[in-house]
Amino acid sequence: MVDKGQVISLCRSLLWAGRQYPDYNIREYAKRRTLDGFLMNKNLTDHSKVEDAYAEGKKQLEVVERVVKVYLAYPPKTKNIMELKLQ
Amino acid sequence: MASKAIFSTLRRSLTKPNRAVSRRHHLSTSSAATASEPYAGDEHAIVMKGVRISGRPLYLDMQSTTPLDPRVFDAMNASSIYDYGNPHSRTHLYGWEAENAVEVARIQVAKLIGASPKEIVFLSGATEANNTVVKGVMHFYKDKKRHVITTQTEHKCVLDSCRHLQQEGFEVTYLPVRTDGLVDLEMLREAIRPDTGLVSVMAVNNEIGVVQPMEEIGRICKEHKVPFHTDAAQAIGKIPVDVEKWNVSFMSMSGHKIYGPKGIGAMYVRRRPRVRLEPLMNGGGQERGLRSGTLATQQVVGFGVACELAMKEMEYDEKWIKRLQERLLNGVREKLDGVVVNGSLESRYAGNLNLSFAYVEGESLLMGLKEVAVSSGSACTSASLEPSYVLRALGVDEDMAHTSIRFGIGRFTTEEEIDKAVELTVKQVEKLREMSPLYEMVKEGIDIKNIQWSQH
Repeated sequence: MVDKGQVISLCRSLLWAGRQYPDYNIREYAKRRTLDGFLMNKNLTDHSKVEDAYAEGKKQLEVVERVVKVYLAYPPKTKNIMELKLQ
Repeated sequence: MASKAIFSTLRRSLTKPNRAVSRRHHLSTSSAATASEPYAGDEHAIVMKGVRISGRPLYLDMQSTTPLDPRVFDAMNASSIYDYGNPHSRTHLYGWEAENAVEVARIQVAKLIGASPKEIVFLSGATEANNTVVKGVMHFYKDKKRHVITTQTEHKCVLDSCRHLQQEGFEVTYLPVRTDGLVDLEMLREAIRPDTGLVSVMAVNNEIGVVQPMEEIGRICKEHKVPFHTDAAQAIGKIPVDVEKWNVSFMSMSGHKIYGPKGIGAMYVRRRPRVRLEPLMNGGGQERGLRSGTLATQQVVGFGVACELAMKEMEYDEKWIKRLQERLLNGVREKLDGVVVNGSLESRYAGNLNLSFAYVEGESLLMGLKEVAVSSGSACTSASLEPSYVLRALGVDEDMAHTSIRFGIGRFTTEEEIDKAVELTVKQVEKLREMSPLYEMVKEGIDIKNIQWSQH
């Protein structure tokens, strides 16, 4: 049985992991998709569906953590224009 | 004493930059030539091909190619490391594992288009698929069928294959399109002859983004029993594709347009009713004999995962991209007049916006937009100076065709990027129009088309 605390901590882990992408577009997409993904499933009441969504989220968290390590191993040499203007 | 020490350290720190400058004179001539002058605060500037930009441009060219989705990258990594066996080796575990990976990918691709996995053939891309179908079908039925029908707005590879067939002696009808880019169904019906071997119409055009009426064309082809081929490279994963509803016999798909790897594509070849095809690549009979050669397992796996993701995210992406397209179009239209959308706005894929700006010179507009990565005309034709043949087929005037810009919006585009693109485009167009004497004349009310230019 998945409770509210676990779901919130999963969301927070996904957001924190996604923030580490060095690429601007993928970083923004990770944030938006995570938030929208959790918002879309906010009102699920069926236990099995909630468990499925939680398992899916856990799988995505593993993927993000693995991939971010590879992306950070090859840091970009140039900055995106969007990042420069934000400075 | 203490003040002397303070002043001496101050003097030393103040003279440091000069010492750095003199050190540069010791550089060899070649590196001195390439070392750029340091601008204040501009350390990230990129200088390439004579252009200086302060950072990486924002990417709005999703129709030419798309960046790799991290989830696809993850699947491809695992596959590159472990699935190195030849998928066609039947004798050992390495071959079986690689074959399993390929079959899983085949099922993922087939599910996206509503086909059976046995009908999917993997090859190197949509260009190879188009070539195989157009040349292969006609060569197989060359005794009975001598006629091909296609449209004027097809991709270059289809048009070039048809030209090759013409040189061999086949006849090709290039159907004209209406001004909104859609094919006229009556003309298609009239053009079909008893010896028509193939009808090829692309589902979503890569330059103008219009979606052709696939169901109606499929119905017409079924009535006349002509095989229907569609180049769906820009369509899969973006609009709902169903080979049964569209009644297609052949479909070309490409991996790098749906956030997958480059160098991989697939071809759908219908099995019921059976259509025969002469292969382009002969060899060991892999892929049902239609495309021999060892499959690149990690590319195939990446393509499969990209297709599965596209199926899951199609609705979400469509909503987001539609929102961004409206933001872009309204943002540009609010500040500028004389903006024309090339192609139908209703029957269109939202991620492709092709705009023409009146009274502006095209090359200078593109040169000024160097902080936005967009395309004018398709990547295949931008090497030549003539305006794109697709816009010419739509009946767009030469001067408007030259100023067309294609904005490609995708899954990873953000709202801030769209706002920035609008701001840069508007600024550049306004600057060019201010300098343009033609615009002044138009503002005074003179009709440019009716001017008698005096000969010098």
